[in-house]
Amino acid sequence: MAVAFGVQNVTFRYNDIIALDDISLTLEAGKRYAVLGANGSGKSTMLRLLDGLYFADSGTVTAFGEALTEERFADDDFAYSFRQRVAFVFQNPDVQLFNPTVFDEIAFAPLQLRWEKQCIRSRVAEMLDLMEIAHLKDRSPHRLSGGEKKRVALASVLVLEPQVLLLDEPTAALDPKSQSQVIDFLIDWAGSAKTIITATHDLDIIEDIADECLIFQRGKLVAEGKPQTILRNETLLRQTNLIHAHRHAHAGGEIHSHPHLHHDHTHDE
Amino acid sequence: MHIPDGYLSPSTCAALYAAAAPFWYVALQKVKRLLSTRLVPLLSVFAAFSFIIMMFNLPLPGGTTGHATGAAIAAIVLGSWGSILAISVALLIQALFFGDGGITAFGANCFNIAIAASLIAHFVYRLAAGSSPLNSSRRIFAAGLAGYLSINLSALITAIEFGIQPIFFKDATGAPLYAPYSLAVAIPAMMIGHITFAGFAEAIITAGVVAYLQRTEPSLLKMTAPDAVIDSSLPVTQSGWQATRSLWLGLALLMILTPLGLLAAGTAWGEWGAEDFTNPETRQQIEQASSNQAAPENPPAGLERLSTFWTAPIPDYAPSFLKSEPLGYILSAMFGVGLIILASLVISILTRAKRVSDA
Amino acid sequence: MPEKTRRRHKNFIEKTIVGLAEVAEQALYAESLAKADGLLQKLDARVKVIGLFSLIVAAALSKKITIILSLFGLAIVLALLSKISPVVLGKRIWLSAFLFTGAIALPAIFITPGEVIYRLPVLHWAITAQGLRSALYLISRVETSATFAALLVFTTLWTQVLKALRTLGVPVVFVVILGMTHRYIFLMLQTAREMFESRQSRVAGTLPAKESRRLAAASVGVLLSKSFYLSNEVYQAMQSRGFRGEVYLLDEFQMQKRDWLALAGFLSLAILAFVLG
Repeated sequence: MAVAFGVQNVTFRYNDIIALDDISLTLEAGKRYAVLGANGSGKSTMLRLLDGLYFADSGTVTAFGEALTEERFADDDFAYSFRQRVAFVFQNPDVQLFNPTVFDEIAFAPLQLRWEKQCIRSRVAEMLDLMEIAHLKDRSPHRLSGGEKKRVALASVLVLEPQVLLLDEPTAALDPKSQSQVIDFLIDWAGSAKTIITATHDLDIIEDIADECLIFQRGKLVAEGKPQTILRNETLLRQTNLIHAHRHAHAGGEIHSHPHLHHDHTHDE
Repeated sequence: MHIPDGYLSPSTCAALYAAAAPFWYVALQKVKRLLSTRLVPLLSVFAAFSFIIMMFNLPLPGGTTGHATGAAIAAIVLGSWGSILAISVALLIQALFFGDGGITAFGANCFNIAIAASLIAHFVYRLAAGSSPLNSSRRIFAAGLAGYLSINLSALITAIEFGIQPIFFKDATGAPLYAPYSLAVAIPAMMIGHITFAGFAEAIITAGVVAYLQRTEPSLLKMTAPDAVIDSSLPVTQSGWQATRSLWLGLALLMILTPLGLLAAGTAWGEWGAEDFTNPETRQQIEQASSNQAAPENPPAGLERLSTFWTAPIPDYAPSFLKSEPLGYILSAMFGVGLIILASLVISILTRAKRVSDA
Repeated sequence: MPEKTRRRHKNFIEKTIVGLAEVAEQALYAESLAKADGLLQKLDARVKVIGLFSLIVAAALSKKITIILSLFGLAIVLALLSKISPVVLGKRIWLSAFLFTGAIALPAIFITPGEVIYRLPVLHWAITAQGLRSALYLISRVETSATFAALLVFTTLWTQVLKALRTLGVPVVFVVILGMTHRYIFLMLQTAREMFESRQSRVAGTLPAKESRRLAAASVGVLLSKSFYLSNEVYQAMQSRGFRGEVYLLDEFQMQKRDWLALAGFLSLAILAFVLG
């Protein structure tokens, strides 16, 4: 069981606020994880530390056996190798779509990693077909719909054939149809990235996209477990602000309030 | 003002490109050193920001609106070199993509709006703010002053660029080939609009944004005030807008006192009376000051009289530009506008006092 | 507040919203024209940048009104061949340039010294030949240059313009910044519009002046904070995909025979105009 990421006693401060407080965890290669937590729990920050975008104030983050430090990233070979192996999809696609056209966007990563030009052209064409966005290749990012932006964002990182995929709130701000497209994509993804780590507070999707869950609260890791187990633990979910209680009606006309998830349903089979 | 193609001769344009180039080069070196890899996203976003700001209609006294360039606030937040680059990029996109500003005149526009304004704004701001705390109202005042002075300097340089065109660039029949107005006409024409509307717009935006940032994100003001601290004993929020009131007062006094000062200096030396205001002498003055252009048949007589009011008393041995028409026009405008601001301040204070006493 | 009053006092929020919307609309329009099947659209972007720029310079250098007007005629011909209707050019470029520059040039007709050729009936203001010539120079130059610039923008996709600049020697870092700025202008346009529209829906009639100024400054402040936040995120997104300071681009241009011909055509016309004028 190879270890993809190791996090040991990591603390990270953001503008004098403690975002991660003495966190330790291990992420195995080839598994799918969901990092759960309410806003401000530190899950986004954790992802960025895993991608070498931030560096821990104390403690160590290791990836593929090597410690991630600023000095390490100064080395060209390590940097190129890491950037190819680990891909990050940001919550807000506008942040990730900074090139003039969709084609340029998908070509950006391989260009920065100095791939050969003909190779880049063919690889970009492949990704355009795979994500079904070939008709958008000359379009500017501000003229794409939310769902299209997400597909371009995914294409722009998957073009490198990474081994690890980090996703920050992939379903946030998407309409239901686009949300389900992203979920389906993650479920069906038979590509190279076998290690998928998704930060989310959307409990509806974790059973589909994760084998293991990690729950963060206020910068600390408070629970781990399989999705099914976590979902049944109402107390935990309520304590960590992952579910809510508000007044609602049941089919029988009864109106009351209790903690619930919005996806309970049965099938008539 | 964004200069379109056709107003400046190609040689003027080339000269201004050449003048802008060293600033661009130095700015790039300095910004690269300071920001290294962050330079690309930071400058891009900031250029987009200044582009948008240039499009805001800002409410001004009297129910009018005006536009600001944002060069001063960019200089205060990014420093002068970063501001030079960001505003230049915004200007290029305006010129190339939206036809606002010419292509041959791009060097000139950058020199006037991106370079000169940024440098002056930064200088004035640092001088006026001194080492006061990041969240002090003195900084708000300094910002407004920086905005006001920088845009007026921009306008003055632009006016000079226009004004020298007919001197050097005429065709065989003597008709000006490019901007047709001499310095004596171009300078007052440009300055009157900028001393008033455009200057206020820039001052409002610069001071207002600094006030806003003091409340919300003072760290953004750190780049041009590296040694300043945040004084937590200072009152927050409302003090910001009280300070802009003192800014208005300061501007008003500046505008009233300068002409009065000149007048006083004149009366100390000269003897003058009402006969100085009669036409023949002043007609001669106009012609002299306007590079021997024929005076219009029906000059704006009232304005003409007002203008010599300020400049006639200046002693004969003073430099000629001090006795000229254009300066007179400018001073009249300043005095008038200063009075208006003072009046509205007084009215607002009085009405507020009344409302308080009514309550 | 009754509808009539609200419409009459168009406050600065509305004016700004309209201005922002016009920018977005202009960009969309330019893109649609650039995809049409016309003469200039088919040419290499570099040829257009060099060629149209040299014609602008020719118009700037000329000392004869006839030459400037011929260049203007050339611009119209090129527009027609590129499926750009003069009506469109008129509405978007010529009219505003004429009004703006015309207003500036008008006094020059009267105050430029020289040979008087006419006196206005009641006011007895003298119109000089030199004044007229000067005004004509100014207006014709402004219109001609503006038309050539518009031809470039309306027949070339912005990304192609950037790539042309790159291969013509502009440093990569500037081209990247230009591209990114252009892209984020649209994001900020949207943010600014949303800010103002949400404010607009809560305002009936005009805002008192002090309130307006506070709103304006606060809007600028909000945009500024968002700008910093955005730039930090974009920076991380760039790093995550391998950016380490230098940006590498894919150069895609190839000159065809018609591009060389066009380039020769542009340059010879420009030189001709220069020699004649």
